[in-house]
Amino acid sequence: MQVIENSKIKEKMYIEKLSNGLTIIIIPKKKLTKKYITWGVNFGSIDNKFILGDSKDITEIPDGVAHYLEHKMFEQRSGINALDTLTNLGVDANAYTTNTYTTYLYECTDNFYEALDEFMDYVQNPYYTSENIQKERGIIEQEISMYDDEPGQALYMNLMKLLYHNNPINIDIAGTKESIAKIDENVLYTIYNNFYVPENMVIVACGDFEPNELLENIKRRITLKPSNNKITRVYKEEPDSIVDKKAERQMEISAPVFMIGYKDKPFSENMVQKDLALEILGEIIIGKSSKLFKRLYDEGLITTPLGFSYEYGRTFAHFLIQGYSEEPERVIDEIKNEIEFFKARGITDEDFERVKKKLYGEYVKDFNDPEVIAAGVLADYFNNINTFSFFEEFDCIRKEDLLDVLNSLFLEEKKAISIVKGNDKNVE
Amino acid sequence: MADYRYELKQGIKAHLIKTDIFKTNLITIILTTPLKRENVTKNALIPFLLKRGSKNFPTNEDISKRTDELYGTSLNCGVDKVGDNQILKFVAESIDNNYTLNGEDLIKDVIDLLIDVTFNPYMENGKFKETALDTEKAHLEDLINSKIDNKDIYAYNKCLENMYEFTGFGLYKYGYLQDLEKLSLEEISEYYFELLKTCKIDIFISGNFDENHVKEILNQNEILKKLNEREPEYNVADPSTEVVQKVDNPKKIQEKLDVNQGKLVIGYNILDKQPNSRDIGIVCNCILGDGASSMLFQNVREKAGLAYTVKSGFIKPKNIIMINSGIEIQNYDKALELIKEQVENIKKGKFSDKDITNAKTYIVSGIKNIEAEQDTEVIFYMGQELSSKYFGINQHITSINSVTKEQIVEFAKSLQMNTIYFLTGLENN
Repeated sequence: MQVIENSKIKEKMYIEKLSNGLTIIIIPKKKLTKKYITWGVNFGSIDNKFILGDSKDITEIPDGVAHYLEHKMFEQRSGINALDTLTNLGVDANAYTTNTYTTYLYECTDNFYEALDEFMDYVQNPYYTSENIQKERGIIEQEISMYDDEPGQALYMNLMKLLYHNNPINIDIAGTKESIAKIDENVLYTIYNNFYVPENMVIVACGDFEPNELLENIKRRITLKPSNNKITRVYKEEPDSIVDKKAERQMEISAPVFMIGYKDKPFSENMVQKDLALEILGEIIIGKSSKLFKRLYDEGLITTPLGFSYEYGRTFAHFLIQGYSEEPERVIDEIKNEIEFFKARGITDEDFERVKKKLYGEYVKDFNDPEVIAAGVLADYFNNINTFSFFEEFDCIRKEDLLDVLNSLFLEEKKAISIVKGNDKNVE
Repeated sequence: MADYRYELKQGIKAHLIKTDIFKTNLITIILTTPLKRENVTKNALIPFLLKRGSKNFPTNEDISKRTDELYGTSLNCGVDKVGDNQILKFVAESIDNNYTLNGEDLIKDVIDLLIDVTFNPYMENGKFKETALDTEKAHLEDLINSKIDNKDIYAYNKCLENMYEFTGFGLYKYGYLQDLEKLSLEEISEYYFELLKTCKIDIFISGNFDENHVKEILNQNEILKKLNEREPEYNVADPSTEVVQKVDNPKKIQEKLDVNQGKLVIGYNILDKQPNSRDIGIVCNCILGDGASSMLFQNVREKAGLAYTVKSGFIKPKNIIMINSGIEIQNYDKALELIKEQVENIKKGKFSDKDITNAKTYIVSGIKNIEAEQDTEVIFYMGQELSSKYFGINQHITSINSVTKEQIVEFAKSLQMNTIYFLTGLENN
C-alpha cells in the first residue's frame, strides 16, 4: 500500500488501488473505540445526462434518481432490509447523496467485520422491484416536504437558480414529488450497472485498524468485476455569467435570512491553495474577529456571526456568505464595502498570521473524529485532493495569493443575492 | 476513561477525564440552578453577556483575537435544561499542547481564559455594560423568536410546554420576550452575583494532560480562589421521586402555520417505579422508536410509508417518552392510530426476544461510543453528577443487559398519553 504521512498532525493514510479499479483509503487511529467506513460512488444529483457506450443518444434521467437509488440500495432479495441487519449488529448505518457523489457508511464500536459482510454485500447487490420502489415514494415525498419547510434550503436553492443557467446544481438533490413519480426499476438498474462500478468508487475507513488486515478483508468480500462500459457524462455548457441578481421569498420564519453567492470558474489548478486562501480571507474580512463583525454587531444589525464557505465540485464553484438580519440589504451593502476596502488596502501581516494560526488549530481538531476524517477524505478524493496537502499549503501560502483570489473572485457582476423573509404579519 | 472528581470547595467540583485518544482538550464549566419562570430568561441572557468581555479581555473582539492566538480555540456558551434544572454551559475546545507549533502551555491559557469569561466579567460600577445589555437583549430576542424556524424542534417544544403547562420542564430554555423586555441593568447584574453565590459549579477537563499540572492550574487560579463555598441550590434529577399527575384524557393541541408538512408530537408520562426503571426505559424506548429496527420506524415509515422521520426519545430525568414524526397533513388520523398501535403492542408484549437482544446490542454500542467523543463523555458524567448516581461505563452496560422482557412490559404498561400536539398547515381546516 502507498503510505502518505503528515508529521504535523502525526497521521498516516494508506492507499491501494485494487486490480478491479476500486480505491481503498485507510486512516488508522490507535486506541479509538469508534470505527467509521464509507463507500463512495462517483455519481450525484448533477449527473442526469449521459451517453452509454457508443450510442449516439443522450440518456436523460428524472431529477432525484441518485437519491432515490441511495434509499433503495438497502433493499435485499431476501426481503430483509440491510439497514435492519446492520442496526441489529449494533452499528449505526446510513447513506447520503450530494450533488456529485453518493455514499454508504456505518460507524461502530463492535462487530466491525460482521457488519462489513452485510455492508459489502448490499452495496454490491441491488434488488429493485416496481413494488419496493412504489413503497418508498411516500417516504421520499415526506423527506422533500420536510426540506420544503426549511428556510435554509429555500435560501440555497434560490441562490443556485440565480447563479446557474444550466448546471443541475440548481435542482434539489431529492428532486420533486413530480419528478420522482417517473422513477422506476429500469432507471435504477441502468444507473447501478453503469455507475456503480469499481473504478468509479472509493472506500475510506478510519479507526483502530491494522491497514493490511482491513485491506485483505475488503478484498475478500469484493465481487464487483471491472466494467468495460464506457460512459460519457453530458453537462450542458454553463456560461460564466449569472442568471439574475436577486431573489426573495416569504416563509414562516422569525427573521430574514440572506445568502450572497459569487460564481467562480469550476476547478482551477491549485484548488487547495484557493480553498485555503478563501478561508483565510473570509475570517479576516467577515469572521468573528473582523472589524466588520464588530461594527455590525454593535449596531445591532446582526446578532450572530456571518457564515461563509467555498463550495466546489467537478462542474461548479462558488463562494457563499450567509447571515440573519432584520435589515439584510444594509448588511449586504456593508459586506460589499468591506470587500472593496480590503481590495484597496490589502491585508496586514498581523491579520494574516493570526488567522493562519487559528485555521491550523481548527484543521488539527478535524483530525479527532473518524467520521469527520473519513467523510472529509472522501469528499476531497472526489475533488482529486489529497487531504493532507492543506497542511503543506499552510507553509507556502503568501499574502499575494490571497489578494489574487480576492481580486478575481469577488466581482459584482458574478454576485447574486437570495433573501427569505417572514410572512407579513398584518395580512390575516 | 474514568471521571476523577474532587471538590475544589464545597459546591464547586473539578472533574478530570484523562484520555489520550484526542488531539484536543475540552474544558467545560457548568453552572446549575433550578428551572423557574422568574429566572429562566435571566439565565439565558447571562452567557451572552459574559461573552461580551471579561476583566482581562474587555470586548468580544479582544476575546476573539485571544482565541485566534490560542490556535483557534473555540469558545461557546449556552443554556440547557436537565430535569428541573437550567444549566449554563461554557465550553472551550483547543488543540493539545503536543500539537502546538512552539510548545506553548496552551491548556493553562485556555483554562484561565474560560474561567475569566465565566466568573470575571467586564463591569462598570458593579454592573454589566449598558450597551452590551442592549445588544445582547436583541440577540436573545432573535433567538427566542427563531424557535419557529426549525419546525421539528418547534413542535417538540410546544408539546412539552403543553405537557407541563408552561412551568418547570415545560419552560422554553431561552426564556420569554415579556420577561426580557422589562429586565434592567441593575436587575441582571445583581442576579448574576446572586447566581454565582448559590449555583452548583462543575468544571470538566478532558484531554491528554498531566493531572498534577491541571490541579495546579486550578489551585492557583486567582478568580476561582475568590468564589465562595456554598450549599448549592439545584434539583437532584431523580425520576423515582418525580410526581406524575394522572391524565384521564390526553390534551389535544393543534396549531396552524404556513407549512407543507405536518408535525405530530406525542408526550407520554411514565408511572413505572421499578428499581432499575431507568435502564428498562432505555431498552423499552429503543424497541419502540430508537433506530431503524424499532417498531415505529418499521411500521410507520417502512411498511406504511407515512413518514420520513418517526422516532421516540426517553427523557430520563423527567421520566417521559416523546414520539415525534413529520407526516402528510391529511394523514393525521392514520399516523396517530398507527403510532398508538405500536405503543399498545409493546404494552401487550408483542415483541420478540430477538428484538430485545438487538435493542441491547444497539444501546451497548452507543454506550461504548461515549468515550469516543469528548463532549458526549462530559454530558454522560454531568448527568450522573446531577442525579447523584455514579457509575462507570461497564456497570452501565451490565445493567442494560440485565433488563428482562417482563420488566419492559411492566414499564410500557405504565405509559400514559399526556399530550398530542399537531402542527398543521393554514389551508387545512
